[in-house]
Amino acid sequence: MKLSPRSIPYRALQRAGSIIILAVFIGAGAGQQTVGPILIALTVLLALIGIFAYELTYYNRFQYHLTDATLDIHSGVFNKREREIPYRRIQNVDISRNVIQRLLGIAVVNLETAGGESTEGSIRYVTVHEANRLQEEIQRRKQEDTTPDETPTPPDVLYQITDTELLLAGIFSFDPRIIGLIGLLATGSIPFVSSYFPDPTTILFTVTGLILIFTIAIASWLLGALITIFNYYGFVLTKARDELRYERGLFQRFNGSIPLTKIQTITVEDNPLKRFFDYATLTVETAGYATGQSGTEGSQAAVPIARRNRVFSLATNVEPIDHDQISYAQPPSRIRRRYIARYLIALTIFLGIAYFANTQTTTPLPWYWLLASIILIPPAAHYKWKHRGYWIGTDHIVTRNGFWKRTTKIVPYYRIQTVIDARTIFQRRWNVATIIIDTASSQSIMGRGAAAIDIDTRDADTLRETLPNELQAALENTETPTSSIDPTTTDA
Amino acid sequence: MERLHPRIQLIWIIKTLIFTGILAGAGALARMYIEIPLWAVALTVIGITLIGTMHAIARYRRWGYEIRDDSLYLERGVLTEVRTIVPLVRIQHVDSSRTPIERVFGLASTVVYTAGSRGADVRIPGLTRTTAQTIQEQLKELAIQAEGEDAV
Repeated sequence: MKLSPRSIPYRALQRAGSIIILAVFIGAGAGQQTVGPILIALTVLLALIGIFAYELTYYNRFQYHLTDATLDIHSGVFNKREREIPYRRIQNVDISRNVIQRLLGIAVVNLETAGGESTEGSIRYVTVHEANRLQEEIQRRKQEDTTPDETPTPPDVLYQITDTELLLAGIFSFDPRIIGLIGLLATGSIPFVSSYFPDPTTILFTVTGLILIFTIAIASWLLGALITIFNYYGFVLTKARDELRYERGLFQRFNGSIPLTKIQTITVEDNPLKRFFDYATLTVETAGYATGQSGTEGSQAAVPIARRNRVFSLATNVEPIDHDQISYAQPPSRIRRRYIARYLIALTIFLGIAYFANTQTTTPLPWYWLLASIILIPPAAHYKWKHRGYWIGTDHIVTRNGFWKRTTKIVPYYRIQTVIDARTIFQRRWNVATIIIDTASSQSIMGRGAAAIDIDTRDADTLRETLPNELQAALENTETPTSSIDPTTTDA
Repeated sequence: MERLHPRIQLIWIIKTLIFTGILAGAGALARMYIEIPLWAVALTVIGITLIGTMHAIARYRRWGYEIRDDSLYLERGVLTEVRTIVPLVRIQHVDSSRTPIERVFGLASTVVYTAGSRGADVRIPGLTRTTAQTIQEQLKELAIQAEGEDAV
């Protein structure tokens, strides 16, 4: 198979773009010199012909074939390259198109393999039709490689973003902590500024300052909302055979698949704003490959926003969780005193810095105003404790942490890799421990995996010993599909 | 619960000594340019050496490992106590490694790898060469028996 002929002018233009810019610069610089404009024009023309010839050869030489077990790519103009990618090693086939590519009706096909570090193969560019065919075909052959003859089932639409949800996703992208930060800055800036200026200017200054800060906050929020809306425009999540597929994006269309057998943990995220309106976000984590990794950072969500109940029932499509029965065991209530102590220490350090800053300036600052935030400490400690917990289900362990960004992690027992029980010297004083449930997910690798934090030592002892047994039992009970051996991961 | 070879304490103490040696050198160098009393440098070096030595001994006393029926259990840590359970089914491969300093003292380490990377640094130090080899063999056998193909 060959690339789309339309890829020749597109590739040539892409490459020529930088050369033309360079030529303009040289031309501008050499304008007064002896080098005539004709010479420059000639060079540019030659370069363009060269580029076009190169891209034509690239097009002529580029060939890919779908064999029984591998995808073969033959390419190269000066250095020839022959690459054979076994289907079973291909994790995801992603299709992406930007605005110009969409006008031309062409697309990039990226082949991701385990590890997710680099793209194993990139086919630039084929027609949209061909891209879809390739994606279908590779997935089909990959299935055949592992489980022979399975009648293709039409994809099941799990979730399709509505306009309201898209708008909400944008609005909720706002971090409520910013309000607090602005408030702090605003109230803090009045006395600070007033100490430097006489009365009328002070008011003017503070007012303009406040307006400025406010505008910046609103602008950054709007920008964030716009980015989110562009990213998730037309988001569709479908389930087909053994994988989830998603499609999203306004200007740049993303299209990817998440194999169900690779999913390690399911994460439900929310913040106070989302909680108030009863919304949440769903993310799935696979081994070494985060959803939408090829896209922008922070676009890992499998379901950007939906009603809380819907999020959990969608999660059921991936992992059968009896979410109605979830009731969290919380850390012992005495731990709140520890959090209070911790916040007090932080506040003391803060006060110390403020005091020091005060000694360095000539005009006295009301640094002791910071002391007022002491009233926030008890509720902060309480809420930290309140949102922390874990639940042991029949097939899963669920952990929950965080107030501003509350994260609920659902780990199937059969995904547990190791169980770690850690107790710092401070935790020992309070008779508490942290149990880390390690999986092969990429989040877990970065230390953001599931953890039952600050639970009673007796509970920790039981949890530590039961989890490996649950893993053992889960592996013995479920032969398929959970234990379907995937060569990809063992290769990696 | 198995213990490490007591000689590991020497390795840890030597590591502290190397560190304090560098520190002493830096202190001596700094004294040429700025005014630091000799006793301050000496006290810091002696203090760190003492703490390091005590830590090495405490660390040795806390360290323990056990190969159970279906898992490998490790217990360690002085300030933060850590207990790790690695189910044998999850073991991907087992290495035996020897750093130059370990070679001098005739010791070796066994490193166990799983697909979860936090567990990838499951490392048992301070083993005699034969013990390290035995553990490696034993874990490999057990992991295969436990159907180690189910790695993820």
